[in-house]
Amino acid sequence: MPATDNQGSFLNRISIRRNQFAPIETCNDQEQENLELFQRHVADRFADLLYIHSTTTTAAVTNSNSNDHSSAAAAATTTDSPSATHETHGPPPPPQLLSISWFRNLLDTYLCCEAEFKAVLVSGRDPSQFSRPPLDRLIPDFLERSIKALDICNAVTHGVDLVQHWQKLAQIALMALRQTPLGEGQVRRAGKALNTLLTSMVFDDKENANNNFHGRWTERTRSFGRRVGGGGGNNKDRTAGNFRSLSWSVAKSWSASKQIQNMSANLAAPRGGESTGLALPVYIMNTIVVFVMWALVAAIPCQERNGLATHFQVPRNLNWAQPIIGLQEKIGEDWKKKEKKGTAGLLEELQRMEKVAHSLVEFADTFVFPMEEEKEAELAALVAELAEICKKMEEGLGPLQQQVREVFHRIVRSRAEIIDVLDQITKMSAPVPY
Amino acid sequence: MEPPESTAAEKVILQWDSTASEDARERMIFTGDRQEIERYLDAVDELQKAMSSASLSDSSSTTTSALQIAMARLEDEFRNILLSHTSPVEDEWLTESTQLEFASQEFELKEEIAESSSDKQFEHQESNSSSCYKTTSSIREVDLIPSDAVYDLRCIAERMIAAGYLRECIQVYASVRKSAVDASLKKLNVEKLSIGDIQRLEWETLETKIRRWIRAAKICVRVLFASERRLCEEIFEGLGNSADDACFMETIKSPAIQLFNFAEAISISRRSPEKLFKILDLHDALSDLMPDIESVFESKSSESIRVQAVEILSRLAEAARGILSEFENAVLREPSKVPVPGGTIHPLTRYVMNYISLISDYKQTLIELIVSKPSTGSRYSSDPNVPDMDLSEFEGQTSTLALHLIWIIAILQFNLDGKSKHYKDASLAHLFMMNNVHYIVQKIKGSAELREMIGDDYLRKLTGKFRLAATNYQRSTWVRVLHCLRDEGLHVSGSFSSGVSKSALRERFKAFNAMFEEVHRTQATWLIPDTQLREELRISISEKVIPAYRSFLGRFRSHIESGRHPENYIKYSVEDLENAVLDFFEGYPVSQHLRRRSDILIETRYDMLMADLISRGQTSVLTVQSSLRLFPNASTL
Repeated sequence: MPATDNQGSFLNRISIRRNQFAPIETCNDQEQENLELFQRHVADRFADLLYIHSTTTTAAVTNSNSNDHSSAAAAATTTDSPSATHETHGPPPPPQLLSISWFRNLLDTYLCCEAEFKAVLVSGRDPSQFSRPPLDRLIPDFLERSIKALDICNAVTHGVDLVQHWQKLAQIALMALRQTPLGEGQVRRAGKALNTLLTSMVFDDKENANNNFHGRWTERTRSFGRRVGGGGGNNKDRTAGNFRSLSWSVAKSWSASKQIQNMSANLAAPRGGESTGLALPVYIMNTIVVFVMWALVAAIPCQERNGLATHFQVPRNLNWAQPIIGLQEKIGEDWKKKEKKGTAGLLEELQRMEKVAHSLVEFADTFVFPMEEEKEAELAALVAELAEICKKMEEGLGPLQQQVREVFHRIVRSRAEIIDVLDQITKMSAPVPY
Repeated sequence: MEPPESTAAEKVILQWDSTASEDARERMIFTGDRQEIERYLDAVDELQKAMSSASLSDSSSTTTSALQIAMARLEDEFRNILLSHTSPVEDEWLTESTQLEFASQEFELKEEIAESSSDKQFEHQESNSSSCYKTTSSIREVDLIPSDAVYDLRCIAERMIAAGYLRECIQVYASVRKSAVDASLKKLNVEKLSIGDIQRLEWETLETKIRRWIRAAKICVRVLFASERRLCEEIFEGLGNSADDACFMETIKSPAIQLFNFAEAISISRRSPEKLFKILDLHDALSDLMPDIESVFESKSSESIRVQAVEILSRLAEAARGILSEFENAVLREPSKVPVPGGTIHPLTRYVMNYISLISDYKQTLIELIVSKPSTGSRYSSDPNVPDMDLSEFEGQTSTLALHLIWIIAILQFNLDGKSKHYKDASLAHLFMMNNVHYIVQKIKGSAELREMIGDDYLRKLTGKFRLAATNYQRSTWVRVLHCLRDEGLHVSGSFSSGVSKSALRERFKAFNAMFEEVHRTQATWLIPDTQLREELRISISEKVIPAYRSFLGRFRSHIESGRHPENYIKYSVEDLENAVLDFFEGYPVSQHLRRRSDILIETRYDMLMADLISRGQTSVLTVQSSLRLFPNASTL
């Protein structure tokens, strides 16, 4: 492969990928062409995901820098409004990085790349190639990695359930806060629901393998209980059943972070002669799988995610990987911020929900009847934003979950197909275990 | 400002405002006096009536606020009732059902045998306790919460939903019930294993887990989930917004997914022949559960669970199909080349036939699952590594599964044929084929299911095949030996009275002795494990050798005895040979050379041998005598 100049922003790097790819000596012409196409498609598809991000960066910056929630909500509503898209005649506005819609695009991208990968790897190939280097080593490794990806899929499915649970709590608050006239009882009701929501977020994010944390939790709820002014009752038994957690779905020792770490361990870019042969698409697909799983884990609550940011790195000198590297850098930065702040996940809607919930809890704590006009406007903005987030979740989480399941199915199916090819080879020599 | 008529109700509510007084915070209404409960509920009703009769702007803020206080209170009461009925009740019925299903060590030991019968016990168990209900033949609902508490819960739910607190109600309900269900799953040993964990476990370990899972899954679906569903209905049915359904799904979705995750992980594990039967067990169990799963998860919102169960079922079916074809391939390709000593039954034959017998035990399921015909030689007609066989003659009369079994037997023979070529001695190769095909026939005849599936036509072919192998054996060993006893070449031309060449005759006797000794020595170490087959082959040999020798001896004895050292040429009497044949195919070397008339020691050994023979196989001796011959053609050598 020609040496690539990796200086400058990743956007510059993307333009490089459009240049020619290195000739592949070990394959025939058709294969070489397919391989090149595959690399180009991977780069293009992920560039689209990155482009989405780069165009919306400005909006995101305004959003996070200003504490004016009404403008954020307003911005969100304008981008969402169907009339806006009709007027511009262009494609629908690209979704915000790490939003539910973005993840749906990401999973679509995954499914496309995966289908093409399988075509490159399996179609019309002599099975015996799977028993020769480098595939004899890479394929079992790939299969092992896909098993780990299945567990991530399950964890994410469960995480989405939890987000849906939070969404329902937020909806309680919404319903309470939309009452007119707004009385203390309804504010308290909203505060209670949001406190449960925030407690559950903290609980699940902080949860890890050590067991001392139940104590920490009760402590936290108690303090929340006080803030609510006893609305939930400070009887421990009465609040214990109030929240839900991820903890029971997998063994206590299971760690999403470790899982990602294991997946990206021994993921090495092919070198020398291998870098042009079949090792390359396998490596590309491995990278995509790890990236997608890594991004999902970062965004959606999963058990134990310490040190996630450092657990996945892509070598910087690969053409096709530039958009992935760009995304990885951006998400990695966000994750580091998250680790400091302690948010439940990088899912855009979730981060906003968390922020709005905090603001609303603050509002509930200082609520006095009747409200000042300014306060009322502030509340209306918060409620509008929460409503908008809930709507996005309501519409997006179900399909997202289905898509995760589809990814699961796809991984299972591909694995079975690859194993079939492997079996064709091993059958020739495998003894019957009588 | 305050309308005086609602003050009484409001007072009751405020009296129980847990934010207002320590006493109200510590005590619960629903654990106390019934009258107080009624008074509180009435007060809530009154507030709600006041709220609905007045228009929004009208309703006093104190009424609204009292109602909100009441709702917070009711939510706490609701949670408290639920919490106080989680563990103890569940304990009681879980152990009740587990006593039947698993538990004791003793059961663990007997479970292989007892499993199916205990399942039936479970299904047909009469509900002798008052807390058991049966909606379908297998679903057994129990009271998770006593009916008076259920009544209280419904009273509260009604009021909370009427006041617009449905979501809170669902949230509280699901949180509490979910941890109860989680505890039950733990009790049932439903482990939290990831797919990765399961792929790493040894298959033997997984077999135990599969057995356990099947029992747990039955209880989960038919008792646990079904009872949860009923509880939701009892509390929420008819209260609007399909609250019962929402509560059920919120409670059960994750536990159900956790439960099915195990079966899913098994269904995608790597395929190998030894996994077939446990996978079929799992498939059968899940397939049995399907009607119950469909009935328990019938609502639209629980569709995903139904879909997942169906997916797993079809994956298990796919796995079973994959394993069968894998097995066929393994049988075809099994590469061992070292000949089995003594030409006895090859371990592959035993393995394959035991496997096939087990397949026939699962025939009900497999007949449904195996729908495509085996990929026989026709597809690979150019491939010399696959037997060329036309299964079409069996197609009409039997199932696809049976075609596969016939095909497996065919490829087994094909493989064995290949292995037989590695014997240096052609006779031993024939004996090996005879032994193995005979074993195949015996195995088929030993199982009614297998015999029915394989069918008489193919069985007849197999029988023909081992008979042919026996004939081939006799031909390749004994034609040469009997050749010594022919008349041709002994008579000297021209003479008329004693026209026998003595030297030729002596050579013949010497050759015969040497050959017979050699055959005796080697073939005593050969083995026919089946006593009856062994007897019959020996008899068949005797029938050929003994009369030939007797007549040869009768015709030419005088010529030898008239010469010098007749004992060098006539070493054996007819009886000696008869006895010697009894050493054949016993599988161990004869300790001494062929017995002679004079050898008393050997006579004793012969007696012992006879005694041994009779004690071992009296019946077989009898059957031999009753002329049920396996080799009717053998005499046409």
